[in-house]
Amino acid sequence: MRYLASLIAASLLLAGTSHAEEHEGRRLAMPAKVSAAWKTECGSCHMAYPPGLLPGRSWNALMDNLSHHFGSNASLDKGTEAEIRQFLLYASSDRDTRPAKAAPGERIVTRITDTARFADWHEEVRADVFRRQSVGSAANCMACHRGAEQGNFDEHQVRIPR
Amino acid sequence: MSRLFLLLLAASLAPPGPGRLFSRRTAAGLRRGSTPGFSGFSAERGKELYYRRNTKDGKAISCASCHSDDPRRSGMTPSFRKIGPMASAVNPERFRDPAKVEKWFRRNCDDVLSRACTPLEKGDFLTFLTTLR
Ligand code: HEC
Ligand code: HEC
Ligand code: HEC
Repeated sequence: MRYLASLIAASLLLAGTSHAEEHEGRRLAMPAKVSAAWKTECGSCHMAYPPGLLPGRSWNALMDNLSHHFGSNASLDKGTEAEIRQFLLYASSDRDTRPAKAAPGERIVTRITDTARFADWHEEVRADVFRRQSVGSAANCMACHRGAEQGNFDEHQVRIPR
Repeated sequence: MSRLFLLLLAASLAPPGPGRLFSRRTAAGLRRGSTPGFSGFSAERGKELYYRRNTKDGKAISCASCHSDDPRRSGMTPSFRKIGPMASAVNPERFRDPAKVEKWFRRNCDDVLSRACTPLEKGDFLTFLTTLR
């Protein structure tokens, strides 16, 4: 009896996850309480990329190297840096808080647009569409996903500019 | 040096007007400090800095590349973020928080000039943008 109940529970749980999986793009788990420092600091040069778009170690790698951030100086004071790092790690895609130390042969991705997930999501989007003047680059999520900064990537609300 | 710059910034928070921007104390401090022959900030030199072109990773870059050729208009970063106008005459939000001003001088001077800006350059830059009509 117990066993049967646990089976039912397990299958319900499974149904739950596959449902969530299917609608992943609707709302990329954004914490209810958003760090104001993250919003201003990480949203001044480009859109503030929601923390759920990268695993924890990628965020750690980015936060370790802000004075050489993709060719830009994005350095912060220690206090703000620590606050933002914590926010990003807590809400990262895998909640992994280990430091960004790559194992031999491993590469820690720092671009969202270099992740396997990004490629999966955009399997049907041709590369030249990302290069359109009206889009700019694949990293400009907002060009096609208007709610991107709120973590909304619902595929039914995507609008690709001409 | 940093106290001096704070004075300069504090003074820049006063209502704009060329005569009142930077206090006499600031000027005196700068003269005593690291800048020999200092005799006041210059909007003309600030303007020259704003448009000065440098080469970075094979591309031309200047303060104007992000902040727009006309500081009274909005600019845009290469990563697609709109930046409000830099001239305080059209954007009253400008240069109000000394920590913010310092942070961006630190980053942007490094990006464009590959070095820190001097207090004189900072004062000139702010003078240009706070007196521009
Ligand atoms: C001073 C400007 C600046 C600031 C501030 C800044 N960034 Fe960036 N960021 C850039 C530039 C420039 C790029 C590269 C754009 C390109 O080449 O596509 C970039 C790219 C990124 C990317 C990779 C996007 C992709 O998939 O291609 C991530 C992730 C990122 N930034 C995170 C952050 C975080 C987190 C913060 C806050 C701690 C931050 N950025 C603050 C300038 C900035
Ligand atoms: C050129 C327009 C464009 C840009 C730029 C773009 N996307 Fe997309 N994205 C799309 C399209 C179109 C789809 C839907 C693909 C489909 O239906 O197969 C999509 C789908 C997605 C999905 C899956 C949605 C779902 O409901 O399953 C996610 C998540 C996503 N994008 C994230 C991003 C992120 C993050 C960025 C920026 C780093 C980005 N996208 C940039 C066009 C774009
Ligand atoms: C790569 C793009 C870029 C370049 C090049 C650039 N800036 Fe900026 N700058 C920004 C961004 C983004 C902000 C913050 C957004 C805002 O304040 O509206 C900013 C803000 C500032 C501020 C703070 C303004 C305030 O209201 O507190 C100062 C000062 C500044 N920049 C000086 C410079 C100087 C000096 C140069 C040239 C040596 C320069 N910038 C070049 C992107 C740039």
